[in-house]
Amino acid sequence: MDHKKALEGTNTTRGVIKTSFSEKCFSVFNYTFFIVMGLTTLLPFVNLIAKSLSSEGAVISGKVGLLPIGVQFETYKYVLQDSMFLNSLKVSIFLTIVGTACSLFLTTLTAYPLSKYRLRGRKGLLLIFVFTMLFSGGLIPTYLLMQNLNLVNSFPVLFLPAMVNVYNMLIIKNYFEGLPDELEESAKLDGAGNIRILVSVIVPLSLPVMATIGLFFAVAFWNDYFAAMIYITDPAIKPMQLYLKELLVSSSGDFLKDNVDAAINATPQSIQASSILLATIPILLVYPFLQKYFVKGVLVGSVKG
Amino acid sequence: MIKIKKSAVLAGILGFTLALSGCGGGGGGTTNTPAAQPSDTPASTPKDDGNKDTTAEKPGLRMIMQYGLFDPKTEYVAKYIQERTGFNVEYELLPAENADEKLNLLVSSKDNYDLVKLNAAQFYNLASAGALEPIDELLESHGNYIKQSIKQESFGSATIDGKIFGIPETGAGVSIGEELVVRQDWMDELGLATPTTADELYNVLKTIKEKKKVIPLTMSKDSLYGDIATTFGILTDWKEVDGKLVHRAEQPEMKEYITFMNKLYKEGLLDTETPINTAQKSIEKFSGGNAAMYKLAWWNAGTTIAALEKNFPDAKTSIIPYLKGKDGKAMVGAKANTTWYVAILKSSKNKEAAMEFLNAKMEPETFKGIALGKEGVHYEVKDEKYYPILPIFNDELSNASSFLTGVDEEKYPIYWQARVRKDPILQAHFEAFQKNAEGIIVVDPMSTAPPIEAVSKNLLKLTTMLDDNVLQFISGAKPIDAYDQFLAQWRAEGGADMVTAANEWFQSTK
Repeated sequence: MDHKKALEGTNTTRGVIKTSFSEKCFSVFNYTFFIVMGLTTLLPFVNLIAKSLSSEGAVISGKVGLLPIGVQFETYKYVLQDSMFLNSLKVSIFLTIVGTACSLFLTTLTAYPLSKYRLRGRKGLLLIFVFTMLFSGGLIPTYLLMQNLNLVNSFPVLFLPAMVNVYNMLIIKNYFEGLPDELEESAKLDGAGNIRILVSVIVPLSLPVMATIGLFFAVAFWNDYFAAMIYITDPAIKPMQLYLKELLVSSSGDFLKDNVDAAINATPQSIQASSILLATIPILLVYPFLQKYFVKGVLVGSVKG
Repeated sequence: MIKIKKSAVLAGILGFTLALSGCGGGGGGTTNTPAAQPSDTPASTPKDDGNKDTTAEKPGLRMIMQYGLFDPKTEYVAKYIQERTGFNVEYELLPAENADEKLNLLVSSKDNYDLVKLNAAQFYNLASAGALEPIDELLESHGNYIKQSIKQESFGSATIDGKIFGIPETGAGVSIGEELVVRQDWMDELGLATPTTADELYNVLKTIKEKKKVIPLTMSKDSLYGDIATTFGILTDWKEVDGKLVHRAEQPEMKEYITFMNKLYKEGLLDTETPINTAQKSIEKFSGGNAAMYKLAWWNAGTTIAALEKNFPDAKTSIIPYLKGKDGKAMVGAKANTTWYVAILKSSKNKEAAMEFLNAKMEPETFKGIALGKEGVHYEVKDEKYYPILPIFNDELSNASSFLTGVDEEKYPIYWQARVRKDPILQAHFEAFQKNAEGIIVVDPMSTAPPIEAVSKNLLKLTTMLDDNVLQFISGAKPIDAYDQFLAQWRAEGGADMVTAANEWFQSTK
């Protein structure tokens, strides 16, 4: 109830009628709640930065809170010279670029015909796509398929199976459906074929949704470690997230238990922290560039007609 | 008109991809390098092929190894092994997580692997699934160095139904990992003598609690037994009592131990966060000056003590020798289990070559080179002890133990100690722990047992169940009277079968 009132208040009568007590309470509660929520996600990050800059001694005695103690940059130097880290970073960057470009291309090509009502068997085709959202072949059959295709332990296995994401395809399709048919008709009158219409008319008008879905794909590829964990054993093509996961797991108590040799070689916590940080920064840098499209894209896709 | 439009769109798409790639940090420069990365691998194969030609008829082998944070292709040890044995081996590492699933996938996909390094549970599973080749005959014909280096008893741990299914790797030999370490500066300040029994320990902890207002003893949930438990006769998983094997869950002393620990817990002498403490958390408390005593593992000693001394330059620590039990004798339990098994897969097409390879690695000079590197380059000998030369030893031989496939059981424990001598504090603790334990070590009688179904199947589950419950009893979440009830459940869920099967084996060895 309060929520509704507050919304009405801000939309229609802001500045005209004084806010009531309950509205003030709501605002106070709202601000506190979201500041707390914001801090719960921000503080661990700040703590990680502090840890990565602190001396290992301060880190293992739990003294590091939000500010680094005994500031040093050796950890970063170490991580940036670590060939396994750099290699996995390269793999991840390359995977994100190639994967996103290919996925966006294929997903758009799939979405466009499916957005046209005149396509014969459209409903059936859609059903087939949606079916794959709900059911999959299962892990082992999929693995065997990849193996028979000679894809196991190869770079393409990281993005080829995930090229068309049905959910993202449906979002693009809905967006295409929202574009006026007249545009297409006028392009046809000018003599444009289907491909020309898609490339010259539809896609330029759909940049917001393209950017949004592109970001979805990019983040998904960047964060994916499951595919790599299943298919990749060759350290030369392990992406960042898998390397990070393994770095952390191989230094955790469970892994080191009863394994003295691993315990001697365990990775210090400050180096773990700087690895995590260095692996997060590249994808964080993408957000500001796509932010303006991102907001518009989500909004436009949701309101149709 | 249309042409202009087209180029505009193309520019748009290009711009978008550029925006993405530009944000990737390194920009265009890095984009090209990873492109070469995957193809790098095939590019290097011609080189390997060249090697193959020189080593004429030796086939390439493929081996599955346990997880490690390194790239076997670039490791010094891998190159050294290839040089010495003439075999070109392609290594495949299991992942750090879900290793068992991945292993099953790799083995069942019949993807031409020849060799595999397994932990005890994996070894038993694959052997009983029929995926491993019995190697008795191969050992006889091609395994002279292996048979020289590995004792007959150790082979017992790899024998199922009279057949040997793998080469047992016992590792660094019997050694003690943990011992109580105390803040000596506080002990001196309070005029306390080093405790020698559990009761003396209780008094020391009580005084510390009253005077220093810190956690007297911190303990991690992952290491529940050890120094205090041994005074009650709780040593390792299994103990021989009157010619029979008894699991520690069934030892009547177990109740005495948890009663004592529960007393410490109730009186605030034992860290109240014990049920959730990891080793990391306990070290945090000890090195941060919030706890006075901790059962420290020597491999953590270097960083822990260094951090403590940095935080409190006046802090001093000392090791409390193993406490005496009621009979006035100190004891310490240790396992001498086979850590790894190296097996040849039934699906391998190069079984003989695989055995030749394993044997060649055990040739004494080759083996020493795998364990220690080259004298004068990676290690030096001082006072008849092996010392690593840093940093090259760390850079090139840190992961050497991953490449081992069986060890010289006499010499490896000596070679291995070079790894401990990387850090003086670590070395001092390791040596002190072993010295304190000299002559009082009781080895787990199940150490040399072969894989037994009822044990392999239940051990992990039952150990977890026991540890969880022991923690609950210690922290008072469950009353100690309920122990018998828990024990009945433990027996019902496989404990009884496990104990019977273990005893059947034990009687048969006599």
